[in-house]
Amino acid sequence: MKKAMYSLILLLILMVVLATLKGAVSIDLFHMSNTERDILLFVRLPRVMLSGLVGSALALSGLLFQYVMKNPLADSFTTGVSASSAMGAVVAILLGLGFLIPLFALAGGITGLVIVYKISSVRGRVQPITMLLAGIVLSTFSSATISFMKFLSDDAVSSIIFWLMGGFQDASVKKVLALLVVVMLSFLLVRRHYLGLDILSFDDTTALSSGVEVDRLRKEAFFLAALLTAFSVGYAGIIGFVGLIVPHVIRLMRFVKASELVPLSILGGAVFMIFNDLLSRTLLSEGQELPVGIITSSIGGLFFLYLLIKRKRELYYFD
Amino acid sequence: MNSRLKGVLIFAVMMLFFFASNAQAYQRIVVLYAAASPVLKELGVSDRVVGVTRTDHTFKGVRSVGSHLRPNMELLKALKPDLIVAGSKRAFPEEISKRLRTDVFYYDPRSLEDILFKIKALGKLLKRQKRAEELIKRLKGKLQEVKPLKGKPTVVYEIMERPLKVAGSKSIINSIIAHAGGENLVKVKKKHVLISPERVISLNPDVYIYQVGPMNKKPTTPSERPYYKSLRAKVIKVDEYEFARPGINAFQAVVDLNRIFMEVIK
Repeated sequence: MKKAMYSLILLLILMVVLATLKGAVSIDLFHMSNTERDILLFVRLPRVMLSGLVGSALALSGLLFQYVMKNPLADSFTTGVSASSAMGAVVAILLGLGFLIPLFALAGGITGLVIVYKISSVRGRVQPITMLLAGIVLSTFSSATISFMKFLSDDAVSSIIFWLMGGFQDASVKKVLALLVVVMLSFLLVRRHYLGLDILSFDDTTALSSGVEVDRLRKEAFFLAALLTAFSVGYAGIIGFVGLIVPHVIRLMRFVKASELVPLSILGGAVFMIFNDLLSRTLLSEGQELPVGIITSSIGGLFFLYLLIKRKRELYYFD
Repeated sequence: MNSRLKGVLIFAVMMLFFFASNAQAYQRIVVLYAAASPVLKELGVSDRVVGVTRTDHTFKGVRSVGSHLRPNMELLKALKPDLIVAGSKRAFPEEISKRLRTDVFYYDPRSLEDILFKIKALGKLLKRQKRAEELIKRLKGKLQEVKPLKGKPTVVYEIMERPLKVAGSKSIINSIIAHAGGENLVKVKKKHVLISPERVISLNPDVYIYQVGPMNKKPTTPSERPYYKSLRAKVIKVDEYEFARPGINAFQAVVDLNRIFMEVIK
């Protein structure tokens, strides 16, 4: 575990340095002009930090959703939180309140969370399967609403479509600090429940007889996961596959305990996202960018397919 | 006597030709690209327009047929148009026009010269050559108001803030900037370019223009955006309808932009 942790920390440092040095504009750290210094301080560094934090937040939220729903394919998409956050953000775009996108995304995400939670609660107990189904329904409904809003506003379609594909152009120090607080708090809260999360992987009766407050833990984990997703969507749009692929890759490296999965997923998510953002802003010439969601889905999808084919038996450890 | 008969015959043939050719001109037009509507109005064929998109209010009492990307096919069919003026083949594929058995005129100019060319073509198509020539002359005259500048101000034109997209070399904006005496620094051969803010800063334009309209609703003032803290350009706000639509308005936009450039150069 320690070896993997140190390796990931080293990889993260390398990735941050690489992503800080590379970009649309070449920067010589030792002979910087005023413009280059401004680009580095106000544009590139906040962007690298934000992409890393969004990667961590999405990876951690995906992992928590998988624990809550006892389903290896659960993530912010299947739970509907991504789509409901996006719906909130699209409303902000249509109303011309672009500066309030994070707030609307957060409101949308929390509304989605409450709906899914209410539907899936029976006498105060959360039913994982119902939660998953409610999430899929919410996701479909939110996607349909987004499509309807796109239809209503032809001129803003391009803005909505590109925003939904994800990106970190709008990064700022304020956003970095806000997300850092959310990720750190979530990590500290999750840290207290490592054992409970591990036991939650068994059936509820076993977990309850082991002294785990199953419902409370599920609620807490679900709330944190939704909060992390809502912040990520609000700051960077919908970025797929991170919450699914990062925890799975960590598991395939034979780390299955929560005490290993949580910190390694946070680090792995940051490395993965910084790398993807670096590609999104350097693949094309003349400062053109690709929406980062396209890259995460392409790389993530292909890599996941490779893993599925190569190591399909190990992936179904939940059985 | 013979010569009188010959004269009457020639006159009759001419009249027949005149009425016949007028009858051939399109009588039921649907406009699916709002920027073309003012041109049709100037050509004096407002009474022939039977359908427009829902955001087009150029003609009064004309039926709306939906959006420019997704017109209602039943409404289109019911209007029995003999000509559809569409934006591009991507927005209105030829197969649809075949299905409707209607002629299509694609109005998608990329430059001011293109606009004049399209006006001429529309004039010919609608048998309004004279009106078209007059309009072209008037628009060319508008360009005479452009005053020579001492230098060539460099420009970046923001199409939308979130995500950050700017006008590329295939945009009509490129032509407007050039005719106004400036230079669009974004040379990518696209209409709109998704661009890195650091690239914009490194281009160091003299003027940063941001449009406000349906594509960029209530944008944050560039100087207030965290990533533009070091942008040293003069920031100008313009109306999207006046600048980004490839219609008659583009010529006034050139004059207005030239005036702005004059102040910047000062």
